[in-house]
Amino acid sequence: MAQQPPPFQPQRPPMQIDPNGNRSPGPRPPMGYRPTGTPPPNPAFRPAGTPPPPGSPMRPQFPPNQQGFQQPPPRPSSGQNGYTGNPPNAAGVRPSFSPGMRPPMPHDRSASPQTVRPHQQGSQLPPQSPVAQAASPPANLAPTPSYSSASLPDGPQSPTSSHMSQAEHQRRKRMYPQQITQAYLDQPSPAQSYDQQYQAPSNPAASSGQYFVPGSQPGQQGAPAPSTPGYGQQQPSQPGQQQPYQAQAPVANMTNQFSNMGFAGGPQQPTGQIQSVSLMGVPPQIQDLYSPPPAINLPPNASITSSPTANSDPSYQRSTMNAIPATEALLKKSRLPLALVIAPYRTLKEGDEPVPVVSDTVIARCRRCRTYINPFVTFVEGGQRWKCNMCFLLNEVPSAFDRDAITSQPADRWKRAELNHGCVEFVAPTEYMVRPPQPPAYVFVIDVSYSAVQSGMVATAARTILDSLDRIPNEENRTKVAFITVDSSLHFYNFNSSLTEPQMLLVSEIDDVFLPAPTDLLVNLTESRHVIESFLEKLPDMFKDTTNIKNAAGSALQAAFKLVSVCGGKIICLQSTLPNVGTGALKPREDVKLLGTAKETTLLNAASPFYKTFAVDCSRSQVACDMLIFGGQYSDVATLSCLPRYTAGQTYFYPGFNAARTEDALKFAHEFSELLAEQVGMEAVIRIRASKGIRMTSYHGNFFVRSTDLLALPNVPRDQSYCVEIGIEDDLKTPTVCFQTALLHSTCHGERRIRVLTTCLPVKNVMAELYSSVDQFAMATFLANKAVERALTTKLDDARDAIVNKVVDMLGVYKTHILGSGSGSTPQLTISDNLKLLPALTLGLLKHDGLRQSSQIPTDLRSNAMNLLKTMPVQLLIPYIYPTLYSLHNMPNEAGEVGENGVVLPPRLNLSGEKLEPHGCYLLENGQNIYIWVGRGVVPQLCLDLFDVKSYEGLRGGKITLPNLENPFNQKVNMIIGKIREMRRGNYYPQLYLVKEDGEPALRLWFLSHLIEDRTDNVLSYPQLLQLLKDRVSFNSTHNRRGPEPENSFFNIYLFH
Amino acid sequence: MPGDAMLFLFGVIMAAFLLFMMVFFSSRIILDFASIGQVIMFSDLECDYINPIDLCNKLNQFVLPEMGAQAFLFAMFLINGSWLAALLNLPLVVFNVQKVTNNRHMYDATEIFRTLSIHKKECFFKLAFYLLCFFFYLYRMIVALIADS
Repeated sequence: MAQQPPPFQPQRPPMQIDPNGNRSPGPRPPMGYRPTGTPPPNPAFRPAGTPPPPGSPMRPQFPPNQQGFQQPPPRPSSGQNGYTGNPPNAAGVRPSFSPGMRPPMPHDRSASPQTVRPHQQGSQLPPQSPVAQAASPPANLAPTPSYSSASLPDGPQSPTSSHMSQAEHQRRKRMYPQQITQAYLDQPSPAQSYDQQYQAPSNPAASSGQYFVPGSQPGQQGAPAPSTPGYGQQQPSQPGQQQPYQAQAPVANMTNQFSNMGFAGGPQQPTGQIQSVSLMGVPPQIQDLYSPPPAINLPPNASITSSPTANSDPSYQRSTMNAIPATEALLKKSRLPLALVIAPYRTLKEGDEPVPVVSDTVIARCRRCRTYINPFVTFVEGGQRWKCNMCFLLNEVPSAFDRDAITSQPADRWKRAELNHGCVEFVAPTEYMVRPPQPPAYVFVIDVSYSAVQSGMVATAARTILDSLDRIPNEENRTKVAFITVDSSLHFYNFNSSLTEPQMLLVSEIDDVFLPAPTDLLVNLTESRHVIESFLEKLPDMFKDTTNIKNAAGSALQAAFKLVSVCGGKIICLQSTLPNVGTGALKPREDVKLLGTAKETTLLNAASPFYKTFAVDCSRSQVACDMLIFGGQYSDVATLSCLPRYTAGQTYFYPGFNAARTEDALKFAHEFSELLAEQVGMEAVIRIRASKGIRMTSYHGNFFVRSTDLLALPNVPRDQSYCVEIGIEDDLKTPTVCFQTALLHSTCHGERRIRVLTTCLPVKNVMAELYSSVDQFAMATFLANKAVERALTTKLDDARDAIVNKVVDMLGVYKTHILGSGSGSTPQLTISDNLKLLPALTLGLLKHDGLRQSSQIPTDLRSNAMNLLKTMPVQLLIPYIYPTLYSLHNMPNEAGEVGENGVVLPPRLNLSGEKLEPHGCYLLENGQNIYIWVGRGVVPQLCLDLFDVKSYEGLRGGKITLPNLENPFNQKVNMIIGKIREMRRGNYYPQLYLVKEDGEPALRLWFLSHLIEDRTDNVLSYPQLLQLLKDRVSFNSTHNRRGPEPENSFFNIYLFH
Repeated sequence: MPGDAMLFLFGVIMAAFLLFMMVFFSSRIILDFASIGQVIMFSDLECDYINPIDLCNKLNQFVLPEMGAQAFLFAMFLINGSWLAALLNLPLVVFNVQKVTNNRHMYDATEIFRTLSIHKKECFFKLAFYLLCFFFYLYRMIVALIADS
C-alpha cells in the first residue's frame, strides 16, 4: 500500500473545509467544538494546550502514528496554508472561503439549499407540508407517461377502512414514545433521505479521508478534478447516480418510493453495461450504503398494466440478483448465490403507501399451480381467459373482473389492484379458513423468582402492561388475556368479571401440570378490564419479599399452552432466572474455556430437547411464543430462543437488566410496549411459488417448515425477514421469471387475508448482466443467514471461511469472466459498481458479535446477535453489520435540525480509528445501541453543553440519558438521537452509552470493536482484507480452480500479520 | 435342529422383518416427501396433509426397536461364534451406537427438510444392507441344514 505522492494533492479540496465554508450565514449559532481558546466569535472551541492546527479549522488531528493516512495539506500554496495566517478567520468574524477557492462541488450542500429551501419553508409545519402532498400525485404519474388514466394505481376501492385502521394504528404507535415522535416529522423512507441529504457532503469526506492511493494508478488518481467526488473509474457513475436524487429533492414521498422500486432508478444504470470499480486503496464508499438495489430491467410489456408498482417494493421482497441466469450451469459458473429476502408483513411508517386491498373476495388463481393472478399474466382469447405466468395454463377470467355483481354495472378490470400492484392483499372468503379467525389471545408467563423481583423486572413489566392495555390490538373487543406467574410453583389468576379482586390459584405440582380452573383464567380483556388492572397494580407488591430462587418456566409454558391451545394465540414469556426445576430445567452450562474454540457451537445449540418439541407442539396449535430474557447471569439464550425460532416469535435479550437504572427500564418498557401493540397476523402460512424450472431449496428464519414449500407461522410478527434459497432445475426459456409469495393470515381484527407479493425478474444469458444486477444488501443478508446456519451446524470458523470463500469466488469469476484478465496476479481488485460494498459488509460480518473470532464474547450475547442476524430485515441489518459513525463536535449547521425529511443527520464517517480526533465527540449507532465517544482532549465547553458536566474528568462512562439543556448543541444531539431511535422499522429502542477515551476498558473495547475498518483482536483491517481477497483471487485464478488453500498462515485471516 | 441352523433361521426372520420395516418406512419418508410438493400444491388450504410432526413421531417409535433388533442379532452371532456374520453386522452396530451417543438418532421435525437428503441416502444403504443380510443368512441356514443332515 503506497502512500500517495504529493503531486495530486493540490487538486483536491480538503473535505474539512466544506462544513466550514457553509458556516458563513451569520445568525446561526456556531456548532463546531474545537481545541484552543480561540476568541468566542470563532466558531470552534479549542483546548488551550494544543497548538493551532495548521489546516482548516475543521481539520482532524490525526494521531502522529498514523501519518500514512494523514490528510494532505489543504492548500496548494504554502502562503495560504495556515488557517492562522488567514486574518479574517483568525479574527473569527466569519470562517470565510472565497468561492473562487473551491469552484467545484456542484452537488454539495451549497447546491442543495437551492433546491431545498423553498420547500423547507413549506414543511416547517409539523405534520406534512401541503406542498409535498400536492406534489405527490404528479410525481406519481411522472415516471410513466404512457400510463393510461384508466389504470391509475390507486386501487379501485382500496377501502378507506384499511386507511382508517392504519391511521389508528399510527396513532397508537405514537401514544407511547411521544417525545420521540415529536422529533420525527414526515419521513417516508429513511434510506432515501440519506442519499438525498448526504451523498453530496459525504462524498468529499470519502474522497479526502483516504487511506492511500494506489501508486500503480497515478493517472487515474490525479485525474479527478476537484469537483468529482469519486475515485478512478468511479467518476462516471457517481454524478450520474446523483442526478436523479438531486432532481427528486423537492418532490415528496411518492417519487422516493418509486425510485426505491427500481423503476425511476432505470436511467441511473444503463442496461447491460457493467461499471467496474477498483477496491484497493479506497475506503468503503459508505455514502452508497443505503442506495437502492440495481434496477430490474424487464423487457417492455412484461406486465399487462405497465404500472410502476407491478413489481413489489424491495422492502417487501428482493432477490440477491435482479436478473436470473438462464441455466443452472450458468448459475453455478457465476458462483452467485440466488436467494429471496422477504419481509412480507413489514410495518408501514408514516408516509409509506398502504398495501392495496382487494375486498370483493374475487380471487382468481391458476387451476393447476394455484398462482394468484398478478400483473404479469397475459389475457388471451379476447380477454376471456388469462394465461398463468408460472405454468402457462389458460384459466377463465372471473366475470366479476368486468361486471360488478352488486351494482350490476360494468367494471374496469384494468383498475383492479391485483393487476396493478406487485404487493396486494386479498380479503379471503371462508374457503380459506379452517375455522373462524381466532381472536388475539395473550398469555403472559412472568418469572417472579428472587432475581426477577430484585432487578425490578416484575414491577416494570406490570407497569408497562398496565400502560399498554389500550394499545393491545382489541378492535372487536375479542382479545383474551391470561397471566401466569411462576417461581418454584405456578400461580394462576381468576379474572372473572364479577370479581373486584383477582383470585390467585396456586399449583405447586410442576411435573404434571394441570389447570386449576376450567374457565376464567383466560378472559376477555374488555369485560374483565378492571380485575386485570387491579391485578397489575398489585403484582409488584405481591412478591416483593420473595426469596425463592427457583423457576419452573417449562411447566409454566406447558400450562400456558393448555390455556391457549384451543383457540391459538401468543405466549409472552418474561424470564429472568434460568429455568431450574420442573420440565425443561436447564443447567448453567457456560464454560469460558470453550469460548473461541470449536466446541463453542455446542453452547450455541439448545441444551434440552424440550424447547424444540414444545415449540413444534405450539406451532401445530397456532400458538406463538415470544421470549424476553433478562440476564444477570448466564440465562441460556441459545436454548430459550428455540421457542420463538420455531413458533415465529421474537427474542429480546436484556443483559444485566436492572430497573433501577432508568435507561434499562426505559428500553425494556419501550420495546415491550411496542411488542404488545404490534398488529400481528395470526395462524399464518407462507407459500412461495416460482416459475417452472425454479425450485426453493431451503428456508431461513423464524418459522416451522411444514412441507417442502410451506412455512407455518402461528404468528406473523411485523418486520421479520425470511430468506429463501433458490435453485434452477430446468433451463429457463422464457424472457422473464416470477416469484410469488403468498401469506395467508388472519389479521388481529378478525379478517382472513392473503398478502401476495409478486416479483418478476428478467432471464439473462450473459455473465456481465448477472453481475451488474446483484443486490449487495440482499446478498449480505443471505450471507449472514447462511453463516449463522453454518455456525450452528458445524463451527464458527467454518462459517467465517464460508463467507470469505463465497466473496473470493465472486471476485474470481468477475476477474476471469468479465474482465477477462486471465490468470495470474494483477495489482488491482475489481468488482462491479453495485457490488463495491460487499467486501466492507463481509468484513462487518466477520467482525460481528455473532460471528467474530473471540474468546471474550459471552454465549448469551453471541446467541442473541445470531438471532438478530437471522431475523432482521435488510433495513435494520445493514447498519447492524456496518454501523454508522457521526462526528458531533464539528457537524454542519443544518444537522440536528428539522429539514424536509425530518431531522437532518450529520454526514457519515468511515468506521476507522483515524476518524477519531482526541478533542472530538462522536456518535456511533448500529440500530441496537448508540455510543457517544468522547475524546480525551475534549473541550470543557462541549461537556457542559452536551452533558451538563463541567469537564471531561467529570463524565462517567456507561449507560446514560442525555439531559435536555437549553443550548442548541444539546438540542441538536437530542434530536439526532431521537431520529435514530425512530427512523427504522422494528421494535428496537437503541440504548445510549457514553464511552470515554480512557474510560473503562471493556466498554472502550466494545466501542472500538465496531470500528471495523481497523484491525481489532487480530482480525483484519479493511485494507488487509482486500489484500487477502486479492491474493486468494490471484491464487485461485493461477491454479485455475478453487484448489486447497496453501498451508501458509498468510492465508489464515485470523492470524494475518 | 442344530444351533447354527436355528440361529440363522432366526437371522433370516429378523432380516426379513427389518427389511420390511425399512421398505415400509423409508418408502414413507421418500414417497411422502417426494410427493409432498405435488400433493400439497393442489391444496392451498394448508391443511395438515402429511405433517412432518406426525411422521417424525411415527418414525421415531421404530428407531430404537430397529437398532435393538440389529444389535441383538449381532450379539447372538458373537455368542455363537459366527464371525463372518458378526463382522458383517459390526459396521452398522458401530454406526448406530455413535448416533445414539451423539443423540442424533431421532428424526427431528424441525430439521427434517434440511436433512432429508441424508436420511434418504441412509435409508437406501440400510435397505441394501438388510437385503444382503437376508440372503446371506438364508444361504448360511441352508448350508447349516445340509451339513446337519
